[in-house]
Amino acid sequence: MAASLPMRATVPAAGSGVKQHASWSPYDDNGGTVVAVAGDDYCVVAASTRMSTGYSILTRNKSKILTFNPKCLIASAGMQADMETLHKVLHSRHVTYQFNHRRPMGCQAMAQLLSNTLYHKRFFPYYTFNLCAGLDEQGRGAVYTYDAIGSYERVGYGCQGSGKELIQPVLDNQLKAASPLVLPAQQWLSSLPLEQAVDLVKGAFVSAGERDIYTGDDVEILILTKDGIRTDKLELKRD
Amino acid sequence: MAVEKRVTSPLLEPSSIEKVAEVDDHVGVAMSGLTADARTLIDHGRVESQQHRFTYNEPMPLESLTQSLCDLALRFGEDEEGEAGMSRPFGVALLVAGWDAEGGPVLFHTDPSGTYVKYEAKAIGSGSEGAQTALQESYRKDMTLKEAEVLALSTLKQVMEEKVTATNVDIARVAPKWHLYTPEEVEEVIARL
Amino acid sequence: MMKLRVPLLDGPSTSAAADPCGLQSLGVGGALVDSFPLPPVQDLDSFEREVVEYVKPNHGTTTLGFIFQGGVIIAVDSRASQGSYISSQTVKKVIEINPYLLGTMAGGAADCQFWERNLGRQCRLYELSNGKRITVRGASKLLANTMFSYRGMGLSMGTMVAGWDEAGPGLYYVDSDGQRTKGQLFSVGSGSLYAYGVLDEGFKWDLSVEEAIELGQRSIYHATFRDAASGGTVSVYHVTQEGWTKVRGEDVGELHFKYYPQPERHPCNSVDPLAA
Repeated sequence: MAASLPMRATVPAAGSGVKQHASWSPYDDNGGTVVAVAGDDYCVVAASTRMSTGYSILTRNKSKILTFNPKCLIASAGMQADMETLHKVLHSRHVTYQFNHRRPMGCQAMAQLLSNTLYHKRFFPYYTFNLCAGLDEQGRGAVYTYDAIGSYERVGYGCQGSGKELIQPVLDNQLKAASPLVLPAQQWLSSLPLEQAVDLVKGAFVSAGERDIYTGDDVEILILTKDGIRTDKLELKRD
Repeated sequence: MAVEKRVTSPLLEPSSIEKVAEVDDHVGVAMSGLTADARTLIDHGRVESQQHRFTYNEPMPLESLTQSLCDLALRFGEDEEGEAGMSRPFGVALLVAGWDAEGGPVLFHTDPSGTYVKYEAKAIGSGSEGAQTALQESYRKDMTLKEAEVLALSTLKQVMEEKVTATNVDIARVAPKWHLYTPEEVEEVIARL
Repeated sequence: MMKLRVPLLDGPSTSAAADPCGLQSLGVGGALVDSFPLPPVQDLDSFEREVVEYVKPNHGTTTLGFIFQGGVIIAVDSRASQGSYISSQTVKKVIEINPYLLGTMAGGAADCQFWERNLGRQCRLYELSNGKRITVRGASKLLANTMFSYRGMGLSMGTMVAGWDEAGPGLYYVDSDGQRTKGQLFSVGSGSLYAYGVLDEGFKWDLSVEEAIELGQRSIYHATFRDAASGGTVSVYHVTQEGWTKVRGEDVGELHFKYYPQPERHPCNSVDPLAA
C-alpha cells in the first residue's frame, strides 16, 4: 500500500513556494541531565536546572521534572521546546485519565503511555530523553528509561541527558545488581538506604558539573516515599 | 453468571447459542434481549479493553468499560463521517461482570437506554422478577465461590420452565480470570443443587 | 453534535464496532499512518536519516531461533547501543506476545517493542472473536502486513515469530521491508554471522532438548564475543506444545568462564610461535 501518499498531501507540496535551507534542522540540544534511583520504598529523582544552546546559557532555573501525582513523575532532558510539548500532552492525558477512570494514573500506566506517546511521533520524534519514575503498586521505587522514540525498560536506576556518559558509569559502579534477565531470578533493585542514595546522586551531579558544560547551576531533587514528595536543592557552580 | 439457553426445537444445536461472552481476561458479559445487538457491543468492548491495555499496560477498570458500552448504546441516529450510523437503539440488556485490580469483583447492569447501575447480584430477562427476589433472599456478601455457583444455578432453576441440564444452561465466572464452564463442570454444579 | 477526533492510539476508538479486529485502525488499512504526524519537509528520506543521527535510537543485537525434534529454541543477547554508547545491558529482546507466541527483537528497539505489542493486541482480538488461538503463520502475516504498509518509511525491525499451534512448531522471519519467510533456522542482527557459524556447525534435527538449549546459548555467547554491539545476558526460551518457558538466563561474563575455564588457553590468547 502506498502508505506515504496520503501524507505527502498534508506536507507542503514541492514547488509550493516553501524554501528550506539545506542545513536547516528543527532540533536544538538544550542540554541538562536527569537521574533517578529506585530503592525498596523510595525513589530519588534529580535534574539539573541549566538550559543552554551551544555555548550560551539561556537560563539557570528551568525545571525538567513534571510531577503528575505523589507516585508518578517524569524527567526529561534534550530539547526544551519538545520537552514542554511532551509535558503538556502528558499532563492533559493524565487529567483526562482521572476524569475517565476516577483515579490517578499509576507509574506503570504512565510508563506505557509515555512510550506510546513518544512512538506516536516516530517519524518526527520529540528530541527528548526521558525517565519515568515513581512508586509501583507494591510501594517500591520504579524507574523506566526511554530512547527518543519510545523503547523503554524498567531499571533500578537511570540517567539521561548530556551528562549520562559521565554519571551512568558511576551509578553502575555503586548500584549495579544482577541483571533482571538472569535465571534463577535475583534481586535487581538497589537496596541502598535513602540518605546514601541522595548523597550518591548529589556527588554524581557535582562531578558531572565539573566536566559537562551543560550541567550546572542548580539540581532539583525530588524524594518520593509513601509519605509524599520531599524536595531538596543542590547548588552547583555557576561557571 | 448463569444463563438459560432456551432450546426451542429439538433440532437446534444448543452449543451455538451464546448468551455469555468473554470480553477480556477480567471481564465477561451475560445478555438478554436481542443477542445480535449484543455482538456489536461485545466487539466494541473487546476493542476498548485491548486498546486500554495497549495504552496503559493495565486491565481496563470495569466502570470505564461499562461506560464505553453505554456510550456506544447512545450513538444511534448519528452519522459516522458520511457512513450510515446506527438507525435504532440496541435492544439488549447486559450484565457486565469482572474483576478490578483495586476493588475486586464488580457487577454492572446496563440497559438499552444507556444507563448503568452497580449491583451485588442481579437477574435480567424474562424470569428476572422471580429470580431477583430469590437472589435478594439468599445473597450473602461472604459467600464462597462454590456457594455462589449453587445460588446462581438454583435461582435460574426456579424460574426456568424446563429441567436444568448441562446443555440448556451456561455458567461462567471471573475469579479473577474469565472461565466458561465445560459441560462436565456444569454437571458437577447441578449435582450440588 | 460535537465530536472529538481522537487519534487512534489515544484510546476510545469511535469506529470500533465496524472494525472488531482492529485491522483497519492499526496497521493494515493504513488509517493509523495518518495519525503518525510527519515533519513538514519535502525530502522525508534524508530527514529520517538526519533524525537517526540526532536521537540515536537503541540498536544492535544477536538473536537466533531454530526448530528441532523437541520444539523451538529462541536465544538472544541483551545489549542495546546508541552509536558507540551502550545504553543498556538488560534489554528484554524476547517479546512475550502470548503464552504460545514469542517475538524477537533486532534493529530499532522501539519499532520492535511497539509493533510486537500491537501484534499481541491483534492476536488477542483474533482469539476473542474466533474462539481459538491464532496460528504462528497468521500472527507472522499480521506483522508482515503491518510492516509492508510502512515500507520505505524508515522502520527498522528484524524479528522472528516463534510459537506452537495445531500444525506444530512454527518459526517465521519478518522484517521491516515486509519480507516474511518460514524456516527451520534463523539468526538475525549484527552478530548473526558469528551465531550462524556456531549454530550451523552444531545443528541436528535430533538434538535433545538440553543439547539444543546449550547450542542456542553457545551460539549467542560466541556472537557476543566477536560482535561489539552484542552482549549482556544470554537468554534462552524453549517453546513446546504447552507454550513457551524461559530456560536460561546467564551473564556473558559467567559464560566466558564456563566455556573457557582457563582463559589463558583461549584461542585468542594463543602464543605467537615467532615471538619465541
